[in-house]
This record gives sequence, C-alpha cells and structure tokens, in this order.
Amino acid sequence: MKKRKTNQITRKHAFTGYLFASPWIVGFLIFGLYPIGISFYYSLCQYDILRIPQFIGLRNYEQLLFIDDYFWGSIWNTLFYTGLRVPLCIIGSLLLAVLVNNAIKGVKIFRTIFFIPSIVTGVVLSALWLWILNPQYGLINSFLAYLGIQGPLWLLDADWSKPSMVLMSLWSIGGGRMLVFLAALQGIPQHLYEVVELDGGGWWAKFRNVTIPMISPVIFLWTILEVIFSLQVFIEAYVMTKGGPLNSTLFYNLYLYNRAFEDFDMGYASALAWLLLLITLGITALQFKLSKKWVHY
Amino acid sequence: MWKKIKISGGIILTAALLLILFIPSSKDYNDGKIHIRYWYVTGAKEQIPYHIKKFNEIQDSIVVEPTPLPWNEHEKKILTSILSEDPPDVINLVTPVAKWASRMALTPLNDLLKKDLFDSSIFFQALWKEMNWQNRIFALPLYSNSYAFFYNKRLLREAGLNPENPPSSWEEVKKYAKILTQKNVQNHFKQMGFIPQYGNLQTSILMAWQLGAKFLINNGTEVDLENYQMVRALKWEVEYFNDYPLNEVSSFMAGFGFADQHGFISEKVAMMVLDNTFIDQIKLYNPNLEYGVSVIPTFDGYKTASSSGSWWVAIPRGSKNIEAAWEFIKFSVKEETQLEESASQQEILFPANQFAANNSSFNKGNEKIKTLVDMMEYAHSPTIIPLAHDIFWREFLGARERALHKIQKPEVALKQAEGIIQNQLNQAIEYDSYVRSKMNFETISN
Repeated sequence: MKKRKTNQITRKHAFTGYLFASPWIVGFLIFGLYPIGISFYYSLCQYDILRIPQFIGLRNYEQLLFIDDYFWGSIWNTLFYTGLRVPLCIIGSLLLAVLVNNAIKGVKIFRTIFFIPSIVTGVVLSALWLWILNPQYGLINSFLAYLGIQGPLWLLDADWSKPSMVLMSLWSIGGGRMLVFLAALQGIPQHLYEVVELDGGGWWAKFRNVTIPMISPVIFLWTILEVIFSLQVFIEAYVMTKGGPLNSTLFYNLYLYNRAFEDFDMGYASALAWLLLLITLGITALQFKLSKKWVHY
Repeated sequence: MWKKIKISGGIILTAALLLILFIPSSKDYNDGKIHIRYWYVTGAKEQIPYHIKKFNEIQDSIVVEPTPLPWNEHEKKILTSILSEDPPDVINLVTPVAKWASRMALTPLNDLLKKDLFDSSIFFQALWKEMNWQNRIFALPLYSNSYAFFYNKRLLREAGLNPENPPSSWEEVKKYAKILTQKNVQNHFKQMGFIPQYGNLQTSILMAWQLGAKFLINNGTEVDLENYQMVRALKWEVEYFNDYPLNEVSSFMAGFGFADQHGFISEKVAMMVLDNTFIDQIKLYNPNLEYGVSVIPTFDGYKTASSSGSWWVAIPRGSKNIEAAWEFIKFSVKEETQLEESASQQEILFPANQFAANNSSFNKGNEKIKTLVDMMEYAHSPTIIPLAHDIFWREFLGARERALHKIQKPEVALKQAEGIIQNQLNQAIEYDSYVRSKMNFETISN
C-alpha cells in the first residue's frame, strides 16, 4: 500500500518535472532532433530547398568519396590546420597559465591583459589580421623588413596561408582555456611539489611529474574541444581568403557552406555535414582510446 | 493540487502552440488600400528609394511597404520567406534571375506583359535577355552596371604616351602597360600599367566573348569552357605575367583596398576595366584624378565586348498581391521614373531603361557616361551557365589561378573545370526534369 503511494508520488513528480522541462523538450524536438533527422534524409537526396527533394540513394556520398577532389582537399586543409593549431594552442595556453600562476605583484593585471584579445569576435579579428599579415604594409612584414628580411606573402601564398591562419588563432590563447588551466593549476596540492623537492627534483621534474599528470584531465578535455572547434574552422577563411589561394584554405565547413548557400545544393551539403560528424566522432573516439595511456583521474 | 498543475500546464502549452500557429504574418490595414511588401537590397538603411516614395505619392489604391535588406544576408532572407510561404510581394535582387527562376521561386510575368502589351524594347537587350528563363520572363531589370576602359591621363602623359589616345587593342594594352610600370629602389612595384585579374570583370572571359566564345552548347546541355577562344584568352593572360612575376604582383595588389585605397583611384594602376560607380568614387575620393573613359580594348579585327550587371525586380512565388505588385514594378522601370530617380541621387544610378540612359538629362553631356551607355550595346550576361552559375565562376577562377601559377596549362586547367561544371549541370538537368514530372509547374509558378 505504502509502495503504491510512493510510486504514485514519484510519477507525479516525474510528470511535473517533464512539464517544467517541456519548453526545452519541445524546442529540442522541433529545432534539434527534427533538423538532424531530416538532414540525414536530405543527404540521400538532390535538394535545392525551393523544390521537392529527389531521392538518389548514396550518390552524394559516392561522389564525395570517389569523385570530388575538393572534398579530400578540404579534409587535408582542415586536418593540417587542426594538427598544427591544437598542440600550439594547448601548449601556449598552458604556458601562459603557468606564467600567471606565480604569486608576483600585479599578476591579476597580467591575467586580464592576456584575456582581453580572446573577447574579440571572429570577423573583427579576421579583418585585423588581414592588415597584420598584409605583405606590403603589414605589421609583421614591416618588422621583418626592418631586420632586413623579406617576409612571405602570408595569406596570398598557398604554402603560407594555413600557417598564417594558425598563427592568427594563437591570438586567443589567453582566453577561457588559460583560465581553466589556471584553475586546474591552483587545485594541485602543494605537498606533491614538496615531495619532489625532498627528492631533489627541480622545476622540470615538478612540471613533468606533478603538474602535467595532475592537470591531464583538463588537458584532455581541452584537446577534445579544440579538435572539434578546429575541425569546424570557417569564419577566418570566409572573411579573409574565401578558400584561396589555390584552394589552400578551402576548409571543410567553408566548402560545406559554399555548397549549401551559394549553390543551394542542400543534399550534397547535408552529406558533407554527416561525414564531418563521422570524422569528428572517429577522432574523438581515438582520443578517448589514447587517453588511457596519459590521462590520470 | 496535481490536477491543478496538469490543467494549468496544459492550458499554457496549448496557448503557446496556438500563439505560434496563429501569429498574424502581416499587419492588418483598414484603409481600403492594397499594401504590398517590397524587399530591396541596400547599404543605407535610412534611404528609401525614390521610386517607392513617388509611387506611394501618386497612388490612391496601392501602398508600398519597403523593407531594406542588408547586403550580406539578403538572399537567405528572401529564400526563407519564400519557403515559409509568406514572401514579400516584390523583391529586388542582383544575382542571376535564372538562379531563382529555375528553382520556381519567381512568378512568371508573361500573362501580365501580354495583357498590358508591355514594350520590352525599352530595356538594353543584354538586360532583357537575363530576365528570360526557358522562354518565360520572370523579372524586369531596374538598374545595371556598365563597364568601360578607364585610364589615368596624367600617368600616360608622364610616361610619354598620348593621354588622348588610349590603347584600343590588347596588344597595345600590353605595350602601354610595360611603359607605365615602375619599380621602387627595393625593386618592388610602385606603379603598374594594367593587371588583368584586378577588378570585378574577368579580362580573359571578356576576351573570350570578344573572340566569339560560346560556353554552353547543344541546346544548353553541354559546357564548353575549353573552347579555343577561351584557351587563347587565358594564354594571353598567362603570357602577360611573363613580364611581371606573379608573386610580386600579388604582393603589390595586397596594398589595395576600397575607396581611396583602390588601385586606380590611388593612381597605382594606370589602366583598368571599371564600372560606372567608379565615376562617383573618383569624384569622392580623388577628385583631382585626371582620367579618361574609352571603349574596352579588343583583339584586332574583333568587336569589343562588355558585361552587364543587372539589378532586377520580380514577384516571388506565393505573393498574394500579384496585380498590385505588377503595377509597382511597371512604374519603377518607366523612363520618367528612372530619370527622376537618377536625378534624385548623388551618385550615378545606371538605368536599365535604355531611353532613360540615352536621355541627355541622364548623361548631361558627360562623355564618360556616354561611353558607358554605348558599351551596353556590347554587353553580355555574366550568367553563363544558368543552372550551375556559382560553380561555373568558382571553377573558372580556380582554372585561371592554376594556369597563372603554371600548375597546369590553360587548356588542361579549363578542361578540368569544364568536367566539374558539366557534372553539376547534368545533375541539375536531371533534378529539373524529376521536379517537373512530380510538381505542377504552372500551379507552383503561378
């Protein structure tokens, strides 16, 4: 009798809970799940938004994987960017966090100064870097010219365009990532460092044997997030290069955008989106597998 | 208690759903007039175009409700409105008519044209051709851009060339350019005579048109980008850079921007193919620039060619006020309206109505404007492959880039691009015939 009453109350509570959550549930079903589901269907269609979709089976996927050179080119560009950017961002943020973790006078001011660049939005940042990287009048090449070095063409040279964009993305290493690393660093118990000191270890031993293992879950989290962000790189190329020169900055999402909103080829763009999901899932799964070897909880 | 929560929750949810479903899509006016919604693209939000103000002034029965759209998002906004079946009654766009008409996004105007015995000869022919898709008219041209050859008289004179005798052939352009190009002490360009890939108009496409190239053959089903005219034009462009290292030219061009930083306006490039808007820009940013405007050079023995760039007005699919929208469109393209509109503007608004463009109150005896008007006779539509418009231009630019960087020979680069465009065209044709077999085209379009 008592159990039945408890069940009744639990059900009522659950119902109330769902009722309160219903705005989100309805929103998710309409604006989240439905678009995801329908985009998979469209990926099997020829569809230009304004007319009815034509079911064509796996043709979009076949074309992407076996015919479309831009697809493979954009994957290479995106992986190159991700592979170069993620380690540099993580290492840069971590080093900055270590620097501002010291109890020196005015450290809070330094933290703020390092954080400020990260609040600049992508489009403004791109416009700013277009001038910094300008081969004729840009800040970097003017400085190099002062040293007697002829700077590269940066964004105008197919060999330099991707490294230029990576360089630009390092602008925000003092942002949220640095703050999270800083919080993680401050959470490391001091006695662990004292143990290293007792064993005669220096700063490197402390960093390698205490700091890194203790903050490895945070590094892991940011590696996953940064890989996902980098695979979705778009604004910089859209604003600065439109994919050029010689398609060297035609990143995956830019190609997807071109197919969707310039060509109105939503079927093909949906197939691209689904393949990106699979690529991201694959890389993340690999990271989780490798994490067992270096992440300590 | 629980009952109350359930009932009140249910009421809230139902009310929310009803609100979403029955939100009125447009305002209700009780003035007995037909209100039509007009979405137009503009950079200046506060400026309502003259033809709207004038139409509202002289009309008793129709009111135009204008909505300016920002440049970067206008296509998506119009697309969404058509998809939601609540489009404006009139739209104003600059992208190819065929891109929208082929997707059944516009209402065909043939019945309205026929009913009013509308005289299409008032428009420049190149613009009128652009309004056609599969033998039906889907829009009327409102304004255009016209291109001509702009040259810096001072730089020509200082280089020992006759400033009143600009080059009339591409070979002359090459010779003049060599004389006009200067380097600084670091051996970097400080001034160039001519840069074929600088500007909105692609020199090699222009050249191919002059040589008589046809890019779409076999009744619109076959792409022919690797035609001998196009190959010859692209080879000319590749050879042009034998005299100027491409990397150095890129570096030089990186210093250009808009307004007073534009290559021609800042007097760093002596000769360019530019459009009518540059007459105003020069007046604004470098009023002392001494320049001339002449016919676009061509190959010896061939007629010149140019490009049009049409702003058009159309009635989107799903408009509920077709007749009223048509009245407004007709009014907008009338000679008097276009002339008054031009007069009301600080800058030159190039009329699509050729009678307005040729009227002395438009050109005011200005020889530069007259040349730009004359060039419209030789204009070609930039919509070269209507069903694969964006891919065509993307692939063409890619092929040109590969050829200029000597990664591929011109014919190989063009052939590769041709294959990709053809593939896209085949799919578009197949999709088009599928859609036609499944949808009632007349019903959808009307």
